Amino acid sequence: MQVFLQTLIGGITFGAVYALVAMGFSIVYRTMGLVNFAHGSVVMIGAYAASTFYLATQLPFAVAIVVAIVVTGLIGLVIERFLRPLENKDFTLMLIGTIGFGAVLEAGAVLVWGATGHAVPSPVATAPIDLAGVRIPTYSLMVIAIAAAATGLLALFLQRTKRGAAMQAVAMDHQAATAVGIHVGRSNALAFAIGAGLAALAGSLIGPMLYVNPTMGGTLGIKGFAAAMLGGFGSMPGAIVGGLAFGLLDSFAAGNFQEYSELVTFLVFALVVMIRPTGIFGEATVNRA
Amino acid sequence: MFFARFSIAAAALIALAACAPPGQQAESGAGATGPIKIANVNAQSGQLSSLGQWEHKGVKLAIDEANKAGGIGGRQIKLDLFDSQGDPTVGTNVARKISSEGYVAMLGTAESAVTLAMAPILKDAKIPNITSGQSPKLADLKSPFLFLNAPTSVTFDETLAQYLVDDKGHKKIALISNNGAYGSGEHDAFLAALKSRNVTPVADEIVTPDQKDFNSNLAKIREEDPEVLFIGAEEVQSGLIAKQSRELGIKAIFAGGAPMGTDVYAATAGQENAEGSAVSSPYLSNDASEEIKAFAAKYKAAYNEEARMHVAKAYDGASILIEALKQTKGEGGQKLADAIRGVKRAGLLGNYNYDANGVGIHETKIGLVKDGKVVPEAAS
Amino acid sequence: MKRLAWLVPVALAAWLLPYGLGGYSIHVIDVAIIFAILAIGLGLTMGVAGQINLAQVAFFGVGAYTVAILTTQAGLGFWTAAVLAVVAAVVFGILVGIPALRMQSHYLGIVTLGLALAFTNWVTNSTIAGRAEGISDIPVPPMFGIDLSSGYLFYYVELLVFVVSLAFALFVTRSPLGRRLRAMRDDDLAAGALGAEIPLLRMTAFVLSGLYGGVAGVLYAGLIRFVAPESFNIANMFLLLAMVIIGGRASIVGCVIGAIGLAMVREALLDASGYAQLGYGLVVVLVVVFAPKGLAGLPEQLRLLLRRRGSGSRAQLGPFLPYDSAPAAAEGDALDVRNVTKRFKGLIALDTVSLTVPTGQIRGIVGPNGSGKTTLFNVISGFYTATQGSVLLGGHDVTGEAPYRLSQRGVARTFQNLRLFEDLSVRENILVGLDRTRTAWIWRYPILPWKVLGYERRLRARAEELIERFGLADVAGAEPRSLPYGIQRRIELARAMAMSPTLLLLDEPAAGLNGEEVRQLGEIVRSIRDSGVTVVIIEHNMGLVMSLCEQVTVLSGGKVIADGPPAEVAVHPDVVAAYLGDSMTAPTEAAAEAAIEEATR
Repeated sequence: MQVFLQTLIGGITFGAVYALVAMGFSIVYRTMGLVNFAHGSVVMIGAYAASTFYLATQLPFAVAIVVAIVVTGLIGLVIERFLRPLENKDFTLMLIGTIGFGAVLEAGAVLVWGATGHAVPSPVATAPIDLAGVRIPTYSLMVIAIAAAATGLLALFLQRTKRGAAMQAVAMDHQAATAVGIHVGRSNALAFAIGAGLAALAGSLIGPMLYVNPTMGGTLGIKGFAAAMLGGFGSMPGAIVGGLAFGLLDSFAAGNFQEYSELVTFLVFALVVMIRPTGIFGEATVNRA
Repeated sequence: MFFARFSIAAAALIALAACAPPGQQAESGAGATGPIKIANVNAQSGQLSSLGQWEHKGVKLAIDEANKAGGIGGRQIKLDLFDSQGDPTVGTNVARKISSEGYVAMLGTAESAVTLAMAPILKDAKIPNITSGQSPKLADLKSPFLFLNAPTSVTFDETLAQYLVDDKGHKKIALISNNGAYGSGEHDAFLAALKSRNVTPVADEIVTPDQKDFNSNLAKIREEDPEVLFIGAEEVQSGLIAKQSRELGIKAIFAGGAPMGTDVYAATAGQENAEGSAVSSPYLSNDASEEIKAFAAKYKAAYNEEARMHVAKAYDGASILIEALKQTKGEGGQKLADAIRGVKRAGLLGNYNYDANGVGIHETKIGLVKDGKVVPEAAS
Repeated sequence: MKRLAWLVPVALAAWLLPYGLGGYSIHVIDVAIIFAILAIGLGLTMGVAGQINLAQVAFFGVGAYTVAILTTQAGLGFWTAAVLAVVAAVVFGILVGIPALRMQSHYLGIVTLGLALAFTNWVTNSTIAGRAEGISDIPVPPMFGIDLSSGYLFYYVELLVFVVSLAFALFVTRSPLGRRLRAMRDDDLAAGALGAEIPLLRMTAFVLSGLYGGVAGVLYAGLIRFVAPESFNIANMFLLLAMVIIGGRASIVGCVIGAIGLAMVREALLDASGYAQLGYGLVVVLVVVFAPKGLAGLPEQLRLLLRRRGSGSRAQLGPFLPYDSAPAAAEGDALDVRNVTKRFKGLIALDTVSLTVPTGQIRGIVGPNGSGKTTLFNVISGFYTATQGSVLLGGHDVTGEAPYRLSQRGVARTFQNLRLFEDLSVRENILVGLDRTRTAWIWRYPILPWKVLGYERRLRARAEELIERFGLADVAGAEPRSLPYGIQRRIELARAMAMSPTLLLLDEPAAGLNGEEVRQLGEIVRSIRDSGVTVVIIEHNMGLVMSLCEQVTVLSGGKVIADGPPAEVAVHPDVVAAYLGDSMTAPTEAAAEAAIEEATR
């Protein structure tokens, strides 16, 4: 039982991070129909930006997160601007274009920060909470709380603000949105910036949990992407549920299948999406006809 | 014979008789004049490139010193760096490249899998290779052209088991290791060392090199309440395992090989979590002896960063090669291999004395991590 | 044969190449050729068939590992192991391809990538596969006493395999199968409606992918004689992807050029691989944005740029040559729709619709927007399965059959918003329609290629006939997207007729046509009917419906509200109400006529 609960804790913590990554994927996808394979690398840049700033200035971690969000938001705008000619046109090309961007970001990180990477000390230094033998690290709680808060804020933004409503409209029908005077380009750019910002948030949070290095984006990207798919591409609740589900799947596979965990994780994943290709919540597709 | 066979085949394939088989005579490695070419092969990109970069700095330091001191019988040594990208296939490409371009010897790589892939080609080309890998499988090859600049995992883990079981009397020992080349080598060697002492591990968890969340594995280990947790993984993953273990309330002593003696391990785990970890390594710290202190100072002056084991062993390997080259007067091939085998050197990692399997160092020391630095066990 | 004369110097150069190269250079070439074979495989699946396959490197791994395991552990000879390895890779290809039956594009990409990771994970762990250190000591492939451990001699083996692989790939892409694969890539719905068995075609793509991966893997095992998990990792998958994209994914020769070129560049940048990585990424991004068809598409792009400067002459439609009239083959009903209901999550699109079309009739289907007309077509042509009710074709119950099966039964259709294969020429669009073979026929490709070529020649002759008949001679070589709308409509009609259907479904064929074009359309449809084809036509142009159709069915809100000769239906009170809205009181005849006039205008 304790093993089970402890596995659960680990799964949820990483699941929260996957959920943030998946949300970043999804918001870009639903608004502009772009599958951003560079997202994982943007997470990595976010982690570097936050940790470098944090280590260099010793300012509060929250400030570092904001800095990272600004940095990756700008990168997001650049990627969006570059790929704009392909938007809503050729899906495969966009896919491959973003893979190319991912490679550029990764190689860039090696040139800027070196291949070695660095460890980031935990910003909260209190002892883990002990609940009947199940230990919950305080930092994990913080990660879960921040991820939840970010989700809430995003939902509020999408539903309660004019900008957010405009983005929703673009997601549903971008031609109709244009007709009622919504600037689709601006809306897309905003979506991309938000997606990149979420990536930075995920990256900053994961830095102290792990170790920041240029190749960390690859695995995070693939797993976040898989999580988004599991939940239903483009669906926000889907991203959260998919992220948590993938975190748990990962965690339990590691406990039960040891070194074969990756094999099991991806086989289960392939099976689930075979049965339900549109994911748990179904795809919130953009109209690409 | 060769010519005739080929001609038959050529005729069979196409009616283009009387053509000589294409091919080239390998450049004779040791021209009597000009610089002596030595290849340093290591990952300069990819996941393990940090190791490769340290290795290169160590090698370069030794070669630069030798060149400044007049080289080998008046000839300079030319050191060329090749990127293996940590990929065995690229490694085999590089092996072919250095064997066709007249290099007399090769230093590196830091990854056993890459060295294993390169070994047959280098053996055929009679190019001695001093590697930084430490997988027992390297010694199993028994290649007369392959030399290790450090002990194998067997030595590391035998020493560790001796310390933990024989000296300290620990019997409840748990293992966690990854399934990569390094991790699985450590796992097998340590398990064998325990077995010879009739100790069965209370838990034996295996993870993947990419894994980041060890909650489920560690929770299982915690159930057994071990006194010692053996970690067989690279620097960063060892650190993560140590950190998450303490968060889960595992009080066991961490024990492992050289990666746990590094600052990367201590920084990733957090200094207080790494405190007390038992490390088996031939190179415990930068101030273990006067020679090492002098080396560390030299290294710092050259690159403005702290020396570490990877640097030291690369430096040792390069120094041995230089010594052997002096004996052969720059000649390579079998002669150089024999000369390397004959080198007896008090290096930074210990006393080199090569056996038939190409292993030069046969002992490691035990150190404990204190304030993020390793101190020899006896002194603590 | 003269066209192939350029092959002679190329072959000679390839034959003599090793004489000018050093021992290492030839090894680099050997590796590059292996990548070229892999790239051909990826080009076939991704570029030609449009299946995003990120597991090509795993197929490669399966081939190499199988050889390694069978030779070192099971003691088999190299070539026996090689054959089994190719089989293993093909089987693995099929397994990885199964998800393609349920999902496409990025979904497929991530699932295949996941399965490739699963493969790497398995070989890293399995003792039989040598775990993380891999397997060394793979024996040198024996070859009648020739020492293949020499990179020079191995080059000739590779060259031979490569030439055969390339020739087969070119043969496949230029044959009916390749055309179908490309049609599926451009528009799988339309391809299905034209009789392409989409599931089987997708699996074929993965079989080809596995085949080429396996062959490359065998060569790899013979050349390097060592396998380890890292050689089949994602970084190499992306390198392969870059090769295919930069070369031009839809062109097999482009893929080869990309692969060999990038392998050389990678070699040149071996000592600066950090920058090389940056370079690949940048080049891929630039190619995707500025030259989406890769190097292979550059000449075409340049030509277009030049032509834009000069004045292009507008393409003209030729006159339609009527069919010979033939009485309908059989009496009875061509189509019988019985009480069909179609629901979408609570929305009822069709509500117990029944209609019977006798053989040889032109039937009109009209109704306001959203009344379920296109849904009805989709049910008849197999795109949707009816929730309830049944569809009979010439007396056979065909409810729920897949579009390709219905197409083989003689149902052809056009689409409301044109579904031409954009990257195929007009001629090829028609050829896709003409090809009536089942996909199972493809066993002939490897065994009896000359039969395939003969079939292709006959198809082409018939295509010319059809192009002539529909007046498309001027535009036969053009890509549909470059043509005016009216011509595209005509092409779609010709493509549907290429299938020699018994039942033709036309979905708003007059939309976007000018008056003269509408008149020609009426003529063509009549001629088609006179040749013995039953026609069902959805149309908003009331003038056309009134003049062309013998009987008209009116749908409103998913229900049939009227059915009869055009003149009768036009004045039916329910019809008038449906067109003018419920607010009107019982309409007078005059109002109805006004309404019809309104609609006709």
